[in-house]
Order: sequence, then C-alpha cells, then structure tokens
Amino acid sequence: MNDMRPLERVVDETDIKFSCKECQVYYGETHAIRDVDVDILDKTVTAFIGPSGCGKSTFLRCLNRMNDTIDVARVEGTFHLDGEEIYDPKVDPVQLRAKVGMVFQKPNPFPKSIYDNVAYGPKIHGLARNKAELDEIVERALRRGAIWDEVKDRLSEPGTGLSGGQQQRLCIARAVATEPEVLLMDEPCSALDPIATAQVEELIDELRQNYSVVIVTHSMQQAARVSQRTAFFHLGNLVEYDETGTIFTNPKDPRTESYITGRIG
Amino acid sequence: MNDPHIASAYDRDLEAIQAMIMKMGGLVEEAISGAAESLETGDLELAERIRAADAAIDGLEERVNEECARTIALRQPAAGDLRTILTVMKISNNLERIGDYAKNMAKRTGVLAQMHPIDGAGGAIRRMARQVELMLKDALDAYVQRDSELAHDIRMRDSDVDQMYNSLFRNFLTHMMEDPRNITACMHLHFIAKNIERMGDHVTSIAEQVIYLVDGEFPGDERPKRDRTSYEKVEPQP
Repeated sequence: MNDMRPLERVVDETDIKFSCKECQVYYGETHAIRDVDVDILDKTVTAFIGPSGCGKSTFLRCLNRMNDTIDVARVEGTFHLDGEEIYDPKVDPVQLRAKVGMVFQKPNPFPKSIYDNVAYGPKIHGLARNKAELDEIVERALRRGAIWDEVKDRLSEPGTGLSGGQQQRLCIARAVATEPEVLLMDEPCSALDPIATAQVEELIDELRQNYSVVIVTHSMQQAARVSQRTAFFHLGNLVEYDETGTIFTNPKDPRTESYITGRIG
Repeated sequence: MNDPHIASAYDRDLEAIQAMIMKMGGLVEEAISGAAESLETGDLELAERIRAADAAIDGLEERVNEECARTIALRQPAAGDLRTILTVMKISNNLERIGDYAKNMAKRTGVLAQMHPIDGAGGAIRRMARQVELMLKDALDAYVQRDSELAHDIRMRDSDVDQMYNSLFRNFLTHMMEDPRNITACMHLHFIAKNIERMGDHVTSIAEQVIYLVDGEFPGDERPKRDRTSYEKVEPQP
C-alpha cells in the first residue's frame, strides 16, 4: 500500500540538515523560545505555523543567527548545521548567512538594477572570477527564481520598479544566487496577491530539489500546500512536529487541533 | 475539541449538517421498523407510507452532499472538522442505502400478503430488523456522543444479524424443497432477509466512521463474520 502513496510526499528522514536541541531564546527577561528540539530535513519544505508571538519567526531567525543583531536577544542550546555548531565563535555569521539564505515578508530589493540585486551576493563572496561567470550566476539565479523570462530584457532597470510578486521572486533569486544550502522564508507571500503567491509556492516546491526550505507562514493552507513537514509553535513551545498530512488530518495535540481548525484555544 | 470556532457561522454550518444526519437517521429507523411491521401484519397502507417516505431520505442525502461540498470549498476544514465532514458524507450515504432496503422490503409486502404465509418468517424477519434498528440507533448515539467504544461494540454485534440471516436462509431453502408452492414467497422473503443483512453491514460501516471520526484511524482488526450462506448446501431428502 505504501508504494501507492504519491511520491512527492516521500522525504528522506535520515538526511538531517539542521539538528537543534534544547534551544532557548530570551529577549531580555522574556523567555521567547522554550526547550525546542527539532530536526530539519534536507530537500524538504518545513513549515512553521502558530499564532502571532508564538516564537516561530524567532526560532527561524536563530537558524542563520539573525538574532545576533538584536542586542537584548540571548540564544542558548545547540544548533547543528550538517553536524557543525553555528554558534561556535569560529563561525563567521556572514559566511553562515551565505549558506543559510533568507527571504523576508516584504520584498526588499536593493535600490539598484535587477542585475546588481542578484550579482551583489556572489560578488562580495567572490563566487565569480569574471564578468562572464557573474552573468551566468545571475541568469541561473533569476531562472531559479522563476522570473528570468520577465526581466531578461531589462536587467539594468531598477529592481524596485517591478511588481510586488516580481520583487519577491527577485529577492528569492537574490537569496539563491550565493548557492545557499538552506533557505529561510519568513512569510514570503503575505504581501502578494493569489497569483503571485501561487508562483512563489510553485517556486518553493522546485527549490526543494536542491535545498532545505523552512517557511514561516500565517496561512495554514499555505503550510498544507507547500510543506512536507509542519511544526506547530505555541507560547514559545514546539507543540507538535509531524508529517504535514498527519498534522492536518489527525493532529495528536489538542492545541494543534484548536489552532488549525480555527478555534479559540 | 468542543471549543467553538472563531468564525461562529462555521459552527452553525457544521451543526446544521449534523442535524440533517440525525433527521435522516430518525427517518431510516422508522422505515426499518415500519417495513418489518407491515410485512408481519400485512398492513399494505403502512407499506405504502414507508415506500413514499423514502423520497425524503434521498432528498436529505442530497442536501448533506451539497452542504458538505460547500463547507469544503468555503472553509477548508482540517483535522476533526475534516473528519466530521468526511464521515457525515459517508454516513448519509449509508443511511440512504439502508432506506432503500427498507423501501424494497415494503414493496414486497404487497406480493407476500397474497401468498400462503411461511411459518414464523414474519416474526423472525421482524426480530432481525429490530436488531439492525437497535444497532443503528446505537450507532447514531455513538456518533452524537463521539463514543468510539460503543461503535466498536456495534461492529461486533453485526455477527448476530449474520447468524439470523444464516438460519433464515436454511429455513427458506427447506420450505422451498418441501413444497414448490412456497418458492415465490420464500424468494421474496429471502431477498428481504438478505437486505436486512446488508443493512447491518451499512450500520457497521457507520460505526467504523464513528471510530475514524473519534480516533483518527479506521479499526484495523478483523471482526467476526458469520454469514456463511455462500457455502451453504441443503440437499433434498430422498
């Protein structure tokens, strides 16, 4: 019977990209993340869901040390990326963020040309030896961002002149240009219309071939559509983490059930 | 899980759909007992009423399907809500089938009333129908109470119905072999008994839906089946 399950759902459970144990985050006195243990799989889309303030974005930001930029934030626990501790003093956060890319809620292209938006990362990380190589990287990234056909004839125009959905796909192209291994997305579609959302979701599904994608979303339907694993956060705790279909048909924890069915609880 | 939805109209929709199921269940229970009674007493007027009442059951099933489709499209139910919608659709389908069998039973009352009665058949069929009706009543209670233990119990009780059917099957065969003039009545009675046995299977299916609704999984373990008529052979006495 198991052979008849749609192939897409099958993920390699042994291929762990991020292994996080006993994670705590404090914002000053506030204990924002409590004892979170989670293994994030490679070549899998993992969705973080939960009500506002539940800690899902905070936890996401731990994964590429974005919380380092917040003075009052204190992070504890182990965060192993391919077995290496990312909070080790020897790790350069800038190098880490090239490996663990991020896309934000609001499309935030640099006030530069479309070309330069994508070329910036590869340039500062020295990924291209000459202009021809850089051109290649930019084209590949824009293709992966599913926006190449729309912008190939106007690469020198400002990225800010694109529509919202195009800007977001440009930002995704920019994020993948440095060849990251993990892509973090913090509500990447909340500023987009349904068509642009569908395009970004299709893109996320394609990115799964090469990356581990972690997406924070307020739309439970979006989590259900794009992810293979879903984690439900509530009051800083990771309440339930399971196969997405299981979470949406037969969750084990009543808090998960209350949240995904739209009940007070 | 008894918490209300934030969108209170969603609760009202789900309640309305479930009220339709209860209404259907009530009508189907009446149909079973009415059909069995009309058969035993030869009450043709009652039989006609049971036949006519089936349209209301069919109409409710259609409405349940429409409302469920609407809810899926508009609310994207998940978890327990999703299981409620899925089970409601299957239960209404089961109830509709049971209603059809009761109607068929009432249809045959007319022919049987003109026949020489078969000893004890009316009473035996009525007891069998009563058993199924009680199982159905309990299954609907189990649904309302979200009681999967009761539902498990109902699944097990279906073997009693199967056994009643077995003995009626042998009984009818014997009657037919004794006197060919019994064949018409016995054939009709056999179809009725078989239909009641099928009703039991549909009630069992309802009980299984309740288990899925409550536990999130269908019962996997085998249950005893006692319908052995497929292997039954009665030879004429020399």
